[in-house]
Amino acid sequence: MYRKFRNDIKKYWKYAVYSARAQLKSEIANSYLSWLWWILDPFCFMLIYVFIFGVVFNSRAPHFPVFVFTGNTMWNFFNKNLIQSVTIVKKNRAIVSKVYLPKYILLMSRMGVNAFKMAVASTIIVGMLIFYRIPITANIWFAIPILITLTLVVFGIGCFLLHYGVFVEDLSNVMTLVLRLVFYMTGIFWDIMDKLDPPYNAIVCRVNPAAFLLHNLRECVIYGRTPDWKLLIVWFFIGLGISILGIRKIYKNENSYVKSI
Amino acid sequence: MEEKYAIEVKDLVISYRNLKKLNLKETFFKWKRTKAETFVAVKGISFRVREGEILGIIGKNGSGKSTTLNALAGIFSPDSGTIDLHGHSISLLSIGVGFQKEMTGRENIMLSGMLLGFSENEIKEKEQKIIDFAGLENFIDMPVRTYSSGMYSKLAFSITAILETDIMLIDEVLSVGDQRFKKKSFRKMKKLISDESRTVVIVSHNLNTLRELCNTVLWMDDGEIKMKGDPETVLDAYEAYMEEE
Repeated sequence: MYRKFRNDIKKYWKYAVYSARAQLKSEIANSYLSWLWWILDPFCFMLIYVFIFGVVFNSRAPHFPVFVFTGNTMWNFFNKNLIQSVTIVKKNRAIVSKVYLPKYILLMSRMGVNAFKMAVASTIIVGMLIFYRIPITANIWFAIPILITLTLVVFGIGCFLLHYGVFVEDLSNVMTLVLRLVFYMTGIFWDIMDKLDPPYNAIVCRVNPAAFLLHNLRECVIYGRTPDWKLLIVWFFIGLGISILGIRKIYKNENSYVKSI
Repeated sequence: MEEKYAIEVKDLVISYRNLKKLNLKETFFKWKRTKAETFVAVKGISFRVREGEILGIIGKNGSGKSTTLNALAGIFSPDSGTIDLHGHSISLLSIGVGFQKEMTGRENIMLSGMLLGFSENEIKEKEQKIIDFAGLENFIDMPVRTYSSGMYSKLAFSITAILETDIMLIDEVLSVGDQRFKKKSFRKMKKLISDESRTVVIVSHNLNTLRELCNTVLWMDDGEIKMKGDPETVLDAYEAYMEEE
C-alpha cells in the first residue's frame, strides 16, 4: 500500500494543488470584495463573538479578541474539512465516474483550500499580536507541529467520513450535530480549563483533539508557553494511524463508490 | 515475427459489493440485518489486444461491457485477475471531465489534462493545438460559464482528441457541437481510431460503426465472453441472437 500511495501522490499532487487553486478562484469569481472575503469572514465572526462574550457576557480572558480569533481560525479548518469530506465523492461524481484518481486526493485538494484560508487568517493573528502588544516569543514556532498534527487528525477522520459518506445518507446531518457538540466542547470563545470543573476540564482537553490542539496553540502563540509535548506526540501518532487506516479503507473500497453515487 | 500486445487481460473478475445506501432509521430500527450482496459483473474473462488493433465490444445491456472498459481505464480495480497494459498510457474518452465553470477555457485545459494523467509540460505543449482545433482563440481566456453549450462541447472534445494516449477507450463514438463541428469531430475520431500506432477499444451498440471501424469484435453476455473474432462473423451471430431474443 505504501508504494501505491507514494506513486499516487507523485502522480496526482500537482492536480490536487491546481484543483485547490481553481476552487479558491471559483469561490470569489463573482463577488465584489473578491479575496477580501477570506479575511473579512473570520474577522467579522471574531467581532461578533467578542461583542457577545466580551461585552454582553463580560468575559475576562486575557487578550480576548486574539483568543477568539485564534480559536475561530482553527475551528473553521477542523469543522469545514470534516463537514465537506462527507459529501466530497458525491460532489465530484463527474470526475470519479470518468477517470481513476485516488479519492483521498479530492479530500487533500479541499483541505488545501481550507488550509489557504487558515493561512490568510493566521497573518491576521500575527497582526493582532503586534496591535495588542502581546510579546511574541520563540514558542510561537511550536504552532507548526501543532498544525501538522491537526492536519493529520483531520485528514484521518476525513478519510473515514469520505468513505461512509458515500453509503450513509444522513451522515451529513449527524456530523452537523456532532460537530456542534464538539464546538462547545472545544472552547472557541471560552477557556475550557476555566469554564469546566476539574477533573472534567483536563479530560475534555485531552480526549477532544480540537480542544487539546487549540488550547496548546493558544498557549504557545498568545501566552508564550510551551505546549504539552508528550500528549502532542501521542495525538500526532493517533492522527498518523487514523490517516493510514483511512487511506487503506479508501483503497479497499473505492471501486464500489462509483456504483453508489 | 512475435506479435506485440498492448492489452492482456487474464481471468478478470469484477464484482460489486452491493453496499446499499443506508440511513440511520433503517440501520437502528431494522430487526433483520441483511448481508452485503455481491453482484459479479465480469466473470473471469481473458483476452488480448494487439498493438494498433481496434477492438469493438458488443453485448446487451448489463453484459459487463462498460465495466470491462472502466476496469481497463482503472476506474474499477479487479477483484481478481490481471490487466497488463505493458507500460502503455490509457484513457477513457470522455468530454469535459473535471471542468470548472468559473475557470477560463485555458485553465480548464490544464485541469482536465491533469485528470487524464498528463503532465503540466505535456499539456502546455499541446495547448495551442487544442485551442486551434476548438476554434475558440478569442474566448479561451474567458470563464467557461460564459460559453454557449456548443463552445463548451468543442473545447471539451478538443482536449480529449488532442491529448492522445497509446490506448484509447471509447464508450460510444463521440461527435459533438453544431453540424459543422459534428462532422469535424467525427472525422477526427475516425482519424484517431484509424491511426496504426494506436490501440483502441470501442463499446458501442451501433453495429454499423463497429463494422466500419473495428478489426476484431468481442461479444460479451452475462459477464462472459460469448464470441471473439472478425467483425462480420461476430456481428452477424450477434444480430441473429438478438433477433431470436
